[in-house]
Amino acid sequence: MDELEEIKVTFFQECDELMADCEVGLLAMEAGTGDAETINAVFRAVHSVKGGAGAFGLEALVRYAHVFETLMEEVRSQRVVAEPELVRCLLRAADVLADQITAARIHGRPNEAATAAMVVELEGWITGHAGAAPADAPPASAGLDAPIEFAPVAFAPMALDPIAPASDDFGFQPMTIAIPDLPDLDFQPSQAVMDILADAPGPAVWLVTFKPHSDLYAKANEAALLLRELERLGSVETTLDESDLPDLENMEAESAYLGWTVRLTAEIEEAAIREVFEFVDGDCELTICRDGAAPESEAAADPIAALLAQAAAPMPVIDPIAPIPTPQPADAAAALMAELAAKPPSETPIPRLAAAAPASDEFGFTPTAAAPVASLPDAPVALAAPAPVEMAPAAAAAQAAVKGGAAPPAASQATIRVDPERIDKLIDLVGELVINQAMLAQRVAEHGFAPSSNIAMGLDELEQLTRSIQDGVMAIRAQSVKSVFQRMPRLVREVAAQTRKQARLVTDGEATEVDKTVIERLSDPITHMLRNAIDHGLETPAERIEAGKPAEGTVRLAALHRGGRIVIEVSDDGRGINRPRVRQIAIDKNLIQPDAVLTDEETDNLIFLPGFSTASVVSDISGRGVGMDVVRRSVQALGGRISIASRPGEGSTFTLSLPLTLAVLDGMVVDVAGHTLVVPLTAIIESLRPKADEVRALGPQGSVLAVRDSYVPLIDIGCVFGFRKVPIAPNEGVVLLIESEDGTRAALVADDIQGQRQVVIKSLESNYRQVEGIAAATILGDGRVALIADVDAMVAMRRRAAPADPVLYAAE
Amino acid sequence: MSEHQVQAGSDRREFIAFCIGEQEFCVDIMSVREIRGWAPATPLPQTPDFIRGVINLRGAVLPIMELATRLGLQANEPTVRSVIIVVATGGRTVGLLVDAVSDILSVTQGVIQPTPDMACDRVKTFVRGLISIDSRMISEIALERLMPELDAIAA
Repeated sequence: MDELEEIKVTFFQECDELMADCEVGLLAMEAGTGDAETINAVFRAVHSVKGGAGAFGLEALVRYAHVFETLMEEVRSQRVVAEPELVRCLLRAADVLADQITAARIHGRPNEAATAAMVVELEGWITGHAGAAPADAPPASAGLDAPIEFAPVAFAPMALDPIAPASDDFGFQPMTIAIPDLPDLDFQPSQAVMDILADAPGPAVWLVTFKPHSDLYAKANEAALLLRELERLGSVETTLDESDLPDLENMEAESAYLGWTVRLTAEIEEAAIREVFEFVDGDCELTICRDGAAPESEAAADPIAALLAQAAAPMPVIDPIAPIPTPQPADAAAALMAELAAKPPSETPIPRLAAAAPASDEFGFTPTAAAPVASLPDAPVALAAPAPVEMAPAAAAAQAAVKGGAAPPAASQATIRVDPERIDKLIDLVGELVINQAMLAQRVAEHGFAPSSNIAMGLDELEQLTRSIQDGVMAIRAQSVKSVFQRMPRLVREVAAQTRKQARLVTDGEATEVDKTVIERLSDPITHMLRNAIDHGLETPAERIEAGKPAEGTVRLAALHRGGRIVIEVSDDGRGINRPRVRQIAIDKNLIQPDAVLTDEETDNLIFLPGFSTASVVSDISGRGVGMDVVRRSVQALGGRISIASRPGEGSTFTLSLPLTLAVLDGMVVDVAGHTLVVPLTAIIESLRPKADEVRALGPQGSVLAVRDSYVPLIDIGCVFGFRKVPIAPNEGVVLLIESEDGTRAALVADDIQGQRQVVIKSLESNYRQVEGIAAATILGDGRVALIADVDAMVAMRRRAAPADPVLYAAE
Repeated sequence: MSEHQVQAGSDRREFIAFCIGEQEFCVDIMSVREIRGWAPATPLPQTPDFIRGVINLRGAVLPIMELATRLGLQANEPTVRSVIIVVATGGRTVGLLVDAVSDILSVTQGVIQPTPDMACDRVKTFVRGLISIDSRMISEIALERLMPELDAIAA
């Protein structure tokens, strides 16, 4: 049972990834950058969710995913046109699917009303638009399906099927045309085409060539099983292609050298064959061609009819380069690109021209066969295209390239899943290595070796290596912010719908990497800031048009690295902060004095004050008046900072900066009564050496520091931690002016400052327990443990200590 | 080394023996992770007197317990000969500061005598049994009882 649960957990993890893929694809479709492969990717994602859900008996999920999948199938077979309205519907459908998955994961009940409504809508698309397709065009009209689904395969079915019989109708006789300088006929797909000729017309015969890559075996798939599966579909003749098999001494055990050609005779559709190879898609070379079958559809689509007309017309001059209008230029180009990409550069495309052309000679309808290719206006050596019949990934890449490299297809990255504990362990060990190396260097220096000596130089190399290892190890734990950003488009859609605003999310810097520990905590602040941007920042469409802006507002979410920190920016092109109103609210809520003089920046930052909320009506979007102060507090807890910049009428930008990792911290290393302590830099406002007259005694022991007309209580760090009984005179030491999370200030007194340093955070709790006033520990360069002070706790401890004193201890 | 291998049996146990002042103690070898020399520990605030502080053990922060103080004995200032026995117990790793490691014992369960009824609470709490070898008396420390006290302090 446990095992099943574990698999289920994996399934849900995969669901998350699949839904992310799905959304990426749909967004690409929405933006108009999608292609056939994008639609396929979305279809596959939904299909995989359905498949997995079925295995776990999640029936509600399966039922819904099935409807979704059916519509996607209609879309990818182009029976339903992916118009913008449909894509928006699909996006919402994906949201509902994500909800269903979440419900299944937590064993909760999905929102049945929403699901039912979505199902009705989806079915409306399916029935409403499927009916519009020619009624007598059965789904097997591969000539229409194939180009969209697996573009390069287009050649055989599209060019041949509809035309072969047509030529009969037209009384078109095969003719031979001699083309000079086209020597080489040794070309496989054309050979296949010849086979087609020999057989046509006859029972449906498919020619499947299948050549696994080593990846296929690496993923524990087995070619024999796939071939056996083909056998089940009909009668097969399988031939082995071992031409790539090297000599034994050159053979790599883990490589794949064998390929097969299967002649499959069966009354099935191409999709059925594709299905056999569904799970090795991309891990093999696969071509499927129809062997000379009669077209199953009499109702040829217009472009085909046009081609037929051309075929029937007196044989034009065979000049395959002449542009001839064609329905699928991109596909043909894709085929070309795929071919070019797949072949070593040394092999010139010219022989391919030779191969293609003679083959067509025998058919006697060269123009149609060559048409989709030749039509490409500027494609060099366009003739090469009919020949290649490559598999999807290369084709998709080529397609993207053809379309001006709009959006590179999501390359499948080989990743490994590793227990984070192992990485943490590695990070610890590397930290130890760094310290050890530093100690060694110190010893060497103590023994008086010259910096040019072999030992010292060897140590330098060791130091560089150690640094490289440390960077490398930290990089293992780094993840791109994509995982967080991916969740946001949906949020924006929902918030925009709720607030009746139109918002478009633009993301930037998704590949920015940051430590996993930080990633996990980015989501909440970003969510909050985005909600705020739409709810408070953007105007309603009517207001925007009035202000001369497009009705749709733009919210930009960007991530970048700056100064060793990760910066997240959320900006909108809305109305900006209404400063007079913010100021009035702050005065009304007693947050500032009515006569306070504030800069624009200071006014903007008032919204971060606790209890401030500009929404006159508490909406369910931006929270219950807890607003930005909560965001700021959670960001500060991570050692981060948040700020806002706003221009009235033009919009606002929230900037959130966080450390790249929670494993290290920027700290001020100080000496206190012979102990070394680290004070987190984020808490420190400034450090100073006070003059004697700035320190005022208050009460018998307490004292305060005058900082620019305000008095801040002085806290001796040594006394708080019991390192000494009597505080040192503040003007003999160093004062760190700090601000705790609730905004109160205090002045910490230390003996001296050693400097500012990045330190690795080590837990005290794992082997001991929490110690009040101590946030964690770290290991210094000399290998000793230093404690990291918890500034807030220190202030609190001091405050508690006060009542114990009979007299007023320190005014705060 | 004492070789008191009476018989090879399933109840044979091994111990690390060490000295604190004039007395000898031991802990089960299975709980010992390593033995290392004394290095100054970083003192912790708000901490009972028997915790000397924390040291860096290959990147982990390890609390050091002065066993003499814990047992209510006279504690000597640690010297270069002092030893830290790193033990794992109750999911924690802790260093025990002792004067010196003296022996590795291999004895059968039968050799271990129950602790006599003593008035001293600390003895009752921390000494699980006594092993007598070559007229030496070695007390077995009940490690798991040293540690829960930490939680009590934390609570």
